Amino acid sequence: MSGAATAGSSVKERAKLALNDEFLRKAVKFTTERLRNGKKAASEQHGHWDEWRERGRQIRLHTIAHLDYYLNLFADNARKNGVHIHFADTGAEAVKIALEIARRVQAKTVVKSKSMVTEELHLNHALDSIGVEAIETDLGEYIIQLAGEMPSHIVIPAIHKNRYQIAELLSADAGETLSPDTTVLAGYVRKKLREKFLEADIGMTGCNFAIAETGSMVLFENEGNARMVSTLPKTQITLMGMERIVPSWADLEVMATLLPRSATGQKLTVYLSGITGPRRETDADGPEEMHIIIVDNGRSLQLGDPEFQELLNCIRCGACLNACPVYRHIGGHAYGGTYSGPIGAVLTPALKKNVAEWDDIANASSLCGACYEACPVKIPLHEMLIYLRRRKVEAGRGNALESAGMKGFAAVMGNAKRYKAALKLGRIGQKLVVRDGGIRAKLGPLKGWNTYRVAPSLAKETFRERWDTLEQEIRAGLREMDPDMKERMERLARERAEGKGGHGHG
Amino acid sequence: MAESHRDWLERMDAESRAKQEAFMNGIAAKLRRPRAVQAPEHPFRGAPDFWNGFEWPLEERIRKFMENFQAVGGHVARLPDLQAVRAFIADKAAEMNAKYVIRQNVAELDALELESALPEGARVSVWNRGEGEHWKARAAEADFGVVVADYAAAYTGSVTVLSAKDKGRSVSLLPTVLIAIIPVERLKTRLGEILKDFDRAGRENLPAGIHFISGPSRSSDIENDLTIGVHGPGIVYALLVG
Amino acid sequence: MKVSMMITCLSDALYPRVGEAMVRLLARYGVRLAFPQTQTCCGQPAFNSGYWEEARTSAKTILEAFEDSDFVISPSGSCTGMIHHYPKLFENDPVWLPKAQALQRKSYEFTQFLVQVLGVKDVGAVFPHKVTYHPSCHGSRLLGVKDEPMELMRHIKGLEFVPLPFAEDCCGFGGTFAVKMPDISGAMVTEKGDHVVETEAEVLVGLDMACLMNIAGNLRYRGEKVRVMHLAELLEEGVKGA
Repeated sequence: MSGAATAGSSVKERAKLALNDEFLRKAVKFTTERLRNGKKAASEQHGHWDEWRERGRQIRLHTIAHLDYYLNLFADNARKNGVHIHFADTGAEAVKIALEIARRVQAKTVVKSKSMVTEELHLNHALDSIGVEAIETDLGEYIIQLAGEMPSHIVIPAIHKNRYQIAELLSADAGETLSPDTTVLAGYVRKKLREKFLEADIGMTGCNFAIAETGSMVLFENEGNARMVSTLPKTQITLMGMERIVPSWADLEVMATLLPRSATGQKLTVYLSGITGPRRETDADGPEEMHIIIVDNGRSLQLGDPEFQELLNCIRCGACLNACPVYRHIGGHAYGGTYSGPIGAVLTPALKKNVAEWDDIANASSLCGACYEACPVKIPLHEMLIYLRRRKVEAGRGNALESAGMKGFAAVMGNAKRYKAALKLGRIGQKLVVRDGGIRAKLGPLKGWNTYRVAPSLAKETFRERWDTLEQEIRAGLREMDPDMKERMERLARERAEGKGGHGHG
Repeated sequence: MAESHRDWLERMDAESRAKQEAFMNGIAAKLRRPRAVQAPEHPFRGAPDFWNGFEWPLEERIRKFMENFQAVGGHVARLPDLQAVRAFIADKAAEMNAKYVIRQNVAELDALELESALPEGARVSVWNRGEGEHWKARAAEADFGVVVADYAAAYTGSVTVLSAKDKGRSVSLLPTVLIAIIPVERLKTRLGEILKDFDRAGRENLPAGIHFISGPSRSSDIENDLTIGVHGPGIVYALLVG
Repeated sequence: MKVSMMITCLSDALYPRVGEAMVRLLARYGVRLAFPQTQTCCGQPAFNSGYWEEARTSAKTILEAFEDSDFVISPSGSCTGMIHHYPKLFENDPVWLPKAQALQRKSYEFTQFLVQVLGVKDVGAVFPHKVTYHPSCHGSRLLGVKDEPMELMRHIKGLEFVPLPFAEDCCGFGGTFAVKMPDISGAMVTEKGDHVVETEAEVLVGLDMACLMNIAGNLRYRGEKVRVMHLAELLEEGVKGA
């Protein structure tokens, strides 16, 4: 939670820090470009991508719309498999359950595979407070844990660190100097963590998907650490967001098609594991005791909210981060929460229901829609950002200056006469600052704009002032319309009147 | 009297069952409808229809599997029979100077008689055969892990191994080198052909661990530089037999 | 058939030349545009900032102005995109909702109308210059206007098309975003400007004056001589010169 990258109280200040960090910007650009190109190639090669997205969306919509049924089914089935199921309404409750298990099994160390839910709960810190060492085992997570930071990307957590910084961190950990060579560094971590996997008391995992009909939990990963964590220690604890459910293994095929391709451009992650209960009696590996903690922590606030329920469809692939031009420039820490990028900008305030506090994150978007286009389950994040902004205004928490400005906007734009008068006034006003058809002065509201650009000046005559002249000109030279065109236009208008035709959104 | 571990688990389970009701009722209330207790109609189950009919002929499956597996850094070989597999493994063991081999306790691997094929001094452990062994440690020290795949999928280049008493999850995970033997009749086109078997089998018949392995362990967490063999096996052979 | 021009406040006040080009070009096909004088702004700045009450006030001028039109055409994918948000904006208003839906169905971005409705792909223009193209986000992503401008440009004689690197990345305008987050927006437009310069194109063309104002402002700030035009202007100039 510490570190310079998270300093600054507003996204604007944090973004400024990030924008001044040349390495960070380059690293984030390079990585997101690699990932989004990978996704593009993989989705094109697979083909019918929009049909797959639509199918993924439908499965997620269906599951969430019947979440009480499917989650209940999952819990019952997992219990029949011998899993100890727990429910936590809040993050604090989830932490309490996890700590109680750790105390009961007298754990000294916990090896963890990547889990955004445990980040959300700050579980490592809690374990540390009762004297249990929690070790992140995903290579990137291990690195940022040594640095005492938070992940800045949900798929590539250490995107913001270069190999020299990483070599320094790992050298301090090793007590010897390691060269800044990827193979050397990864080799050190393999050796070090191998011992930890074998001696840890608890293995802790997240959960990509949970299969309701068989009570199985599913993990996607590339390193093999999630397999280690769920195979070697005596006790397994899985933290699972309550919305991670899919009904069946058949549905998992769709998620397995969408998730790796969207995340990294892989056809499948190196490991895809489906775990159905603890070890069987005669098995010689696998956990003897398995717990799954099902976490709400603000998720259910989206249920029944037509504008935000689709947030629960998210499969945590990170494609929206890689597509986002804002993320590209400021990186993950500038968002100031566990989840970053477009999904973070919406999810963080939605989970906390404190729209007002997080509003400046919702403002850190140009609403370009790249996130929606990239999303494998078609979550309209760009629209959700607008809804967040609206809710803040409706709650009376809008910025005073902006509110006044918008009142002025409505007064001017609500009536064409006032609008014309305002333009005339503007034309007189701008005479003071216009040079050579542009405005360069870094004055008032133009300060930010003119730090990077020249502002245009108002035209000598507006279009509406020119209209009469223009009208006369074209009336004189108007040609006869091609009968085919005319026919087509008439048909379109007719179809529209009959309720078909017209064109929809997106 | 201090609460025993079993008593504690039972108490936690009882609490959880009570909580479950409240949790589900809360979800239904937020969705503004009564609790859904009947299985809902699920019209979008599984992959789109056009996909479900897609299947490659055997030779194409083999070709695509090999292509995909190699593309992610895995090694492949197509071998006529188990004799050839035996020779292949023996050659690799000699080449890499493998000292310890761990294998699943299955008939196909018994038939290989690796013990007599491997170079002098190499030791073969058979998973979970006999009492008192630390099987996880045996797997962790192994240079080679040898498994027979339960399935494979050509489209994604994946090998599937299911856990059982004789087929430890560690065998495909802890050794430095993984050798997966795939009888070609187990090679499917799509992932979905394999997954649907798990739906069909049902909860009671699933193993604790179902693992799809699509190449060597990898990470790009350090400056996007691809590293192979981060935690799992860094060298993986898929041997297609038949 | 009443075909009306929704000029957008930006083109009205800053770039009337774009509207003029559209009017002249369409007149060549016998389309006599009408211009309802009561229109103001589509309301997008207020809508996107969360001030929906204010957005509705502005949107009503548009709904009223175009109520009796059969087709409504605009030189901006973003403002046309805003019309597509009207049904949501008026979702709880039984009087205005049907008007909003009706307007959505008859609104077209300029190239959409030209290519899809009129069926024109070749306007007969000649434009012997090196041109690059920035696809604005709202037009290409929300309205799906992707092929139309490319089709039109492909048919212009003498035009040398240079693809813009990272063309689909937002230019950083985003309405009030540019004012509220000036440094992020500035970084975005600077990168966009870099890419335009990299193409060595003489002309940057687009379908949305807001984005073009942003990029042109940056290019001018750094002293670049690239000419920035709306595609309607380029087509009209090319037809006149043919």
